[in-house]
Formats: sequence, structure tokens, C-alpha cells
Amino acid sequence: MSSPSDSHAGDRTVRLDLDAAVGPKTFRLLAIGCVLVLTASYVSVLYEVTRIVGGTRELLALVGAMFVAATVLAWAIRPRTATIGAIAAGVFGFAYYLEYTGVGVGIVRSAGGTILADTAALAAGLPLLRMVAADVWVLAFVPAPVFLSWYLAVRGRYALSIVPGGVALVFLVLTGDAGTVETLLGTLAAIGAVAFGDLEHRGGSVAHADLLAVLFALIVVLSLSATFVPAGPETTGQFAGSDPGTLEGTMDFASEQSGIGGPVDLSPEVRFTVESEQESYWRTGIYDRYTGDGWIRTGENIAYDGRIQGPPGEYDRVRQVVTAETALGVLPTAPQPLALEGEFTQHAEVSRHGQVHPESPILEGDQYAVESAVVDPSPDQLRAAGTDYPDAITDDFDYLQTPAGSSSEFEARAAEITADADTPYDKAVAIERHLRSSKGYSLDVERPDGDVAEAFLFEMDAGYCVYFATTMVQLLRTEDIPARYVTGYTSGQQVADDEYVVRGTDAHAWVEVYFPDHGWVAFEPTPGDSRDAVHSDRVEQAREDGSENVDTETSADEPVSEINETDTDVSEPDENDEPSADSGTDAENETEPADAEPDDTEPGPTADSSDDDTDGFWTQLRERLTVSRDTAALGLVTLVGLVAGAYRTGVTDRTRRELGLYWQRPRGDPDRDVERAYRRLEYVLARESRPRERSESARQYLDALASDSDATIDPRARTVVKRYEQAVYGGGIDRETADETVAVVDDLTRATIPVVGRRHR
Amino acid sequence: MTDSNTHHAESRPATEPLDVAAVADLCGDIEANVADVIVGHDDAIEHVVTAILGRGHVLLEDVPGVGKTMLARSIATSVDCTFRRIQFTPDLLPADVTGVNVFNKQTREFEFQPGPVFGNIVLGDEINRAPPKTQSALLEAMEERQVTADGETRNLPDPFTVIATQNATEPNRTYDLPFAELDRFMKKLELGYPDPEAEAELLGRTVGHHPIESLEPVTDRETLVAARETVATVRVESPVREYATRLVGDTRDHAHIGVSPRGTIALLRAAQARAVVNGRDYVLPDDIQTEAPVVLPHRIRTTDRTRDGETIVANALERVPVE
Repeated sequence: MSSPSDSHAGDRTVRLDLDAAVGPKTFRLLAIGCVLVLTASYVSVLYEVTRIVGGTRELLALVGAMFVAATVLAWAIRPRTATIGAIAAGVFGFAYYLEYTGVGVGIVRSAGGTILADTAALAAGLPLLRMVAADVWVLAFVPAPVFLSWYLAVRGRYALSIVPGGVALVFLVLTGDAGTVETLLGTLAAIGAVAFGDLEHRGGSVAHADLLAVLFALIVVLSLSATFVPAGPETTGQFAGSDPGTLEGTMDFASEQSGIGGPVDLSPEVRFTVESEQESYWRTGIYDRYTGDGWIRTGENIAYDGRIQGPPGEYDRVRQVVTAETALGVLPTAPQPLALEGEFTQHAEVSRHGQVHPESPILEGDQYAVESAVVDPSPDQLRAAGTDYPDAITDDFDYLQTPAGSSSEFEARAAEITADADTPYDKAVAIERHLRSSKGYSLDVERPDGDVAEAFLFEMDAGYCVYFATTMVQLLRTEDIPARYVTGYTSGQQVADDEYVVRGTDAHAWVEVYFPDHGWVAFEPTPGDSRDAVHSDRVEQAREDGSENVDTETSADEPVSEINETDTDVSEPDENDEPSADSGTDAENETEPADAEPDDTEPGPTADSSDDDTDGFWTQLRERLTVSRDTAALGLVTLVGLVAGAYRTGVTDRTRRELGLYWQRPRGDPDRDVERAYRRLEYVLARESRPRERSESARQYLDALASDSDATIDPRARTVVKRYEQAVYGGGIDRETADETVAVVDDLTRATIPVVGRRHR
Repeated sequence: MTDSNTHHAESRPATEPLDVAAVADLCGDIEANVADVIVGHDDAIEHVVTAILGRGHVLLEDVPGVGKTMLARSIATSVDCTFRRIQFTPDLLPADVTGVNVFNKQTREFEFQPGPVFGNIVLGDEINRAPPKTQSALLEAMEERQVTADGETRNLPDPFTVIATQNATEPNRTYDLPFAELDRFMKKLELGYPDPEAEAELLGRTVGHHPIESLEPVTDRETLVAARETVATVRVESPVREYATRLVGDTRDHAHIGVSPRGTIALLRAAQARAVVNGRDYVLPDDIQTEAPVVLPHRIRTTDRTRDGETIVANALERVPVE
């Protein structure tokens, strides 16, 4: 049986005749390209890690070497040999890593289970950046998959070649290091490699590629709607201060990371109270690895076993009793905690850096006692401390780490600031003084692109504690002084001789510098005065608004700022010039629209609330309109897929028909024109009532419509049908009649266009 | 009955075809004339007229007494043609149909005595009651449009149309027409009983004086021949031919024995005549669809008792795309 299109309509089909142009060679290139993209996807993740922890050059050299080796060896060794070689290389790499980190290879024999558990922990979402000696780990990790996948790709075994690459990528996805874009790109490349490889082997045609594009788009859409990527660290629990719009939320949004945000809000609510004979900053977190846009604490926490190692030198024991006034995700202590007492202390953990953390958030009313070792060396003692740092401080931790590629300007400026200083202590003081004097305090800052420390030092005029502390740590490290970034709370409002009320507004970040024989000493790069003003304003405002939880029984009616300004030289831990700060400007409009909630109405130091609203609106708009590169790339992929899908499913044909409905280009053959005109009419009729049955002739269709629907059939439609019959079955039609028929159909179809049609009728 | 022009064998006349509109009018006249006699069977009348125009023969299968003979007679009268009737009986011989050579004692020669088949419109009544040998004499005449007796071939008059009737009520006393011979009928029609109004009308007309007695011709034989020439010129474009082919092919796909190529030709011819009746000089798929239910079913054999030829054709019409 002949198909219906065999008559006149048949020869109008446009054929895509690209098969000649796209042969197996092209498919081979495409497949190899896909393998390259897959490799690039996971290497780029590793590259990102090395950019922070160092070893970028080594990584690239290693990857290059693997490519060369794989190409050279592709036809020289058999796949089995290659696989064994790659696995051996991997095993050797990890053995080296274990040796390097001091664990020792021997442990594999004795504690294979632990290693497995660690790997499982990594695969369960521990980011690579939290690994000790992540650079070595990366170099151990990369050779095997790169070599093996390229080796197989060169041999034309595309399906197999994506296995090592895929495993590497999946592993990085599980650790949470591979972002959505890398994952997507890698996945698409893997599918592409298999598909193009298959097309090459089986001599497929390019017409099949549109299906591939559809699959790609499908994957993109699916992966966007179903987030199987663990997306890095787990999000915060539901405890106080976890709101990402606040300073606390930004700093401690996850227990092992500390972000650097843009504009932040402050919560005036009371977090906890401390009974302590000595005033202190209350430390909650220590971070050592700087990524350029945030801080990461390396290493895993271990369970608290009743004792934490104290500082190397002399110290005073200070006992505090902390009462949580709300649920807390942290355990504030005066540095450095030595021992914990309390019901839940068996659930406490200790980081590698010596700070205690709760396993799970503690509840309102929970109380614990801490014994802390407070070091209080004099400046002279610190000057005399020298630079003879223990190996543990310089090698095991990232206290000297700076992201790869910090600019020489930054180093030059650090040298310039510390030019007159001879000892680490003097350098620290010089940096501290420089920052305090040259930068203003503001909570309402735009988060800079790129390295935050550099941007703050060179471009920004003001910032808040996070910016000051980050910059100071990096300046110190540039000068080879071990330093770390710590977060927590300032001492808070003193309500009795030995009692302090600490609020969300007291959230703070500062710096600790290591001195041999003394241990970690705190420094305060944030200017105190302006921070005070902002802080107390916020609390007073909240009190006026009658917000809840702003005061405890004892703290009400007391002035909040208890400034007893001391000199700014050394910021000792017991220095109490830092009342809490931070105003409530809110530009984090994504999550918190600028409404009249007390938390949000608090203006910044200079802005009033109406300005604030306007700013908020524009910021919001800008954020909405900003299309990130990732989004654009995803959009493009989706678009290509949609187009291919549309082509595949015939939507393009339909669209063309739809557009051609209202306008008909004369084709020269009157019969064709009339036939086409009739098709347009039929299409309109089909849309208005029902399509013609295939076994129904034109006039039967019209008769049926006229009889069974209440829609009146224009008598001109019958004329059109007759002309159509004449053209198709009656041996043709003359030009004039054809033109007339087309004009009639023009009228009839245009009358159905919604707005225009009404005028037309 | 007249037998004026049965003697001479007519050569194919070079009659000029008529205008389509004129033929359409003529058909309308014939149908109206016949409808004076036959009440309630307008469709059947039109089918018979188109069959005559399309050079086909018609098989009427029905119970006795519904007007089969009357239909044939009134059409013959309307077109001013000779009408012959052959009543088929179990003892009818082929020579009784075709005619015999009789010895003329005066001229001392054998003279051909033409049988009743020599007429323009021949009614073969109860054709299935005669033995196959006699049936095939008629059926050969239908196909060849000539008769051979004692080695001499004689052409049958033009037009020549056989309207045969078949009695469906007494199957055990009949000889069923062989399948191959059924195929030679262009159409098989069933008149059926008239509906009550039509029957009342019929009774009113036939009480006393039968209208057939007063029926007058509306045209003549020559015009009819010219009209048949017109039908032959009707255009059948390839989309229509393809549609007919698809339709027929579909019956072949769904039945034990489908429609033969002879059936396809008959379908197109009937459609041509139908187009002319509707005043067109080209065939539409609609014409095919109108003719298919009477042209095709009797050419189809099914093994499945639940479906007959009619069902197969109806399904095909519903299933097969028009273009």
C-alpha cells in the first residue's frame, strides 16, 4: 500500500542530507573529545582543590604526563597490563599519602577497617578540602583514572574508557566537591563518548544525533530537578543562629566551614550566659584552610575523652559555667578549653585544633562547665618567643597555607606593613594596627569576587569582623607566621561581676597567632568603636520594638555597651573592648524580603529604613537579572536539547505549518496552491471542531462538520473544497481560480486569529 | 416485447459523447420516471442506472415480490430499449437462452432464431434455479457481449445489460452461482421491503391501473449509448486510483479471498458513472465510497462466519485513508 504522502505532498519533505559530511572520522573525534571533557571535569575539581592547598603545577604536570604515557603506551601494552599498572600507580600513590601524613602504610595491614571507614566517610560527603594534606591526596588520586581512560580512548574502547573517569567523577560527586556543572558536564561527556563511539563503530548517521541531544537535555533537566549531588557539607540544623542571613549563620553555617558573606543581619536575641571570673571572648570554632572565599577546618573531630591538651607554656586555669538560653550548635568556651563538665559532655567532640563542638545542637537551659587555659604573656615575652615553631604546627596543619596564586602585590603590601617589625609579635601588632586604622566597620558590604583577603586589603573601604580577621590571617601567613581564623562571640554584656549575657549581636571572628612556648594568642584586627555603636544600637532598637529574648532577667535595663577602652596594641583574650556589633541591614533579599520585622528594620549605621528598602529592591532585581555562567551554560544545553527534541517530535514541522497557516507563498503551480490552501482551511477547521478522519473525504468532512456541530460552515469553505477537488482529482485548475481560492482561504483562516480575526470578520 | 433490432449484430457505434451536464440531467429524468413506478427504492434505481451507464450488469438478490422485475422493466421502458425476460427454471437449456438454428423449410436453410438474451435490457429471473450449464450461457454472454451458436458468433445489441435476480429464500432448491461468475456482475443489490409510507404509496398507485402500463420513454437508445460514451471519458486521477487500490488491497488483507482486479475495474467504472450522475467529469473518492458497498462485497469470501463481504468493505472504508 502506498502511503498517503505519495501523492502531491510527498516531494515536499526536506531531507537532512548531512550523512555524507559526517562520517566515522567525525564521530571518532567527537567521542575522543567527550572523553577529554570527562577527564577535564574531574581534573578541574581537583585543580580547584590544589588552587587552594597548593600543588597546581604538579597536578597539571602529572595529568600531562599521564596523557603522554597513555598515548605512547596505547598500542604497546595490553589492556590488562594497563589496568594493573594504573591500579598499582593508585595504590602506590595512596601509600605515599599515608606515609606523608604520618599514618604509615603499616596501618593498612593492622587497621584496614579504619581506612575503609575513612574512605566511606569521604564518600559520604566529607569534602576533599577537609582532608589533611589534600594536595598529596590529589596527586595520589589523579594518575590512575587519567591514564586508564585516555589509554582506552586511544584504543577506541570508549565505553570502557569512561569507566575510570566516571568512577573518579562519581567519587568527587560523593565527596561533594564536584559541583553541578562539573557533574553534568562529565555525565554528558560520558554519554556522548559512548554514543559517538557507538555511532563510529556501527556507522550511524548524524540523524541519530538529534536523539542524543534529546537525551542530553533530558539528563540536564532531570539532574536539575532531582538533586542527587550531595551538594557539599550538610546544611545547618535548626538551632539559633543558623539562619544564613545573619552573621552567625554565615560564619558557622556548617560546623566545618566558615563562609564569608555579603551584607549580613544580626540577631539581638540572647544566646547564652556565662559565669566566669574572667572576661573573655567565647570561642566556638577554629579554621585553618583558606579557600579564597571561605574557611575550612581540616581533619575530622574526635570524641571528647575527658582531657584536651593545654598550651605549651604557662597558663591560668579559668572556670566558666555556660548556660544555653536557646538551642545552640556550638559550645562557646574561653580559649583554650582543657576539660568539660556537664551531662552531655560525653557527646562532645574535639577538633584537631583543640576546640570543643557538640555532636548535636544543645538545648535551651543546658548547662556545662569548662576549664580553660588562659595564656596571658606580656608583649616582651612574645617578642622573645622567636620563630622556632614545632613541626606539628607548620606541617600537620594548614596554619601557613595561602591559596595558590595569591598576588605578589599582597605579599609586597604585607612586607610593607611589617617593614619596621622584627619579631612575629611586632609584625602581628603592625598588621592589626594597620587594619584597625585603615578600614571602616560596616555590615552592609558587597561580597567581593575572588580572593576576599586581597579584595579587602586593596579595594574595600569597610567590612566586618570576618573580613578583618581573614585579611589579617593571610597577611600573617604571607610573613610565615602561623595564624588561624577563629569564630565565636565577644564577651557580651556584663550583668554582674562574674556574669555575662551574650547575644547574637556579639557574634565575632578574630585571629589567633602561634608563639612558641606560649601557644595561641588572640589578636583583634576589627576596630572596636564603630562596632560598638552598631551593636548597641541594634540591641536598643530591639528592646524598643519589644522583641522577645533580647534580655535575660538580669540584663534588662542595663546599658549594653560597657566600653572600657584599653589600648589597641595587643588584643588579649580578656580584652573587653568588643561589645557586639553589627547592624541589621538586609540585602540578603533572596531569603528575607525587606519587610517590617524588627530584625530587618534595623538600619545600617548610615542608612535609614526607606533607603534600605529601595536598596533592597534594586539589589533583589539585580540578583534576579544576573545570569551566572553556569546558568547560561545549562540554559544553552537545555535549549539545544529542546530544539533537537522539537525536531525529533515534529514540533518544528507543526510550528512551520502553524505559521504558514495565515500566509501562503505562491509556489507557481496553481494545483499545489489550491491544495495547500485547502490544507490550511482543514487545519483551521480541525482546530475549531475536530480533525478530518483519514478515511473521510474532504466534502464528507465538511458535511459532517456542518451537520454535527453548531459551528456554521462558511459557504466559501465549500467552494474551496470544490476547487481542491478540481485541482487534485479533476485534472487541474487555472491560475486565476487558484489565486482566488488562496485569497478566500486567507480570509477564512485570518478570521480565526484571536484579536485580529474579530476585526477581520 | 419488441424484438426489432435483435437480428443484426451492431458494430460499436462511433457515437459522440454527450456533455456531462446533459447526461446528469438525463439520468435525473430516468430516475424520476422510474420512481413513478418503483416506490421507495431511489438508491437502487440510481445504482441500476449507473450500472447501465458503466456497462455493468446487476444482480438483485431478494425475496420474491419486492419489485425486481418491475424495476428492470420500467428502466428499460424509460430508455426506450428492448426488454427481455428469461425465467430460469431447473429444466432450462442453454439454447433456450442464446437461441437456436431452426431449419426453414421454405428457404431450405437453417435460420438463427435468437434467444431472449438478445435484448438491450435482459432480466434473468431467479437465475440460481437453472443448472450451472445454463447459467454459464448467460454469464458468457454478459462478459463477451456476444453469443456463439453452431460456430457462428453474433454480437449482442448495444446497450446490453443483464439484471439478474436471485432468490435467497429457498437455498436447497437452487444452484448457487459459482464465485467466478458472481464476479461478472458489477453490482449486487438488495432491494428490501419498502418502508410503510412507501408501501402505502405503492398500494395507492397500483390499485386498479398499474403505472407501468402508462410509462413513457424519456430518452432513446442512441442517447443512452452516447451517455455511456461520456462515462468512459470521465477522468480518474492517480490519487483516486490509488485510493481504490488501497481499498481493494485492504479487503484482500482481511478476507480469505479479496476483491479481484476485475472488481477494481468495476469499481472505477461504477464510480465514473456515479461522477457523471452527479454532474462531474472527474471521479472523487466520494464516488468510490458510494459505489464500493454494492460493487465489492459479493466478490469477497470469508472463512469467518461472523463477517461477510459487507462488513469487510465497511471496515475498509472506515480504515483506509482517502489520500
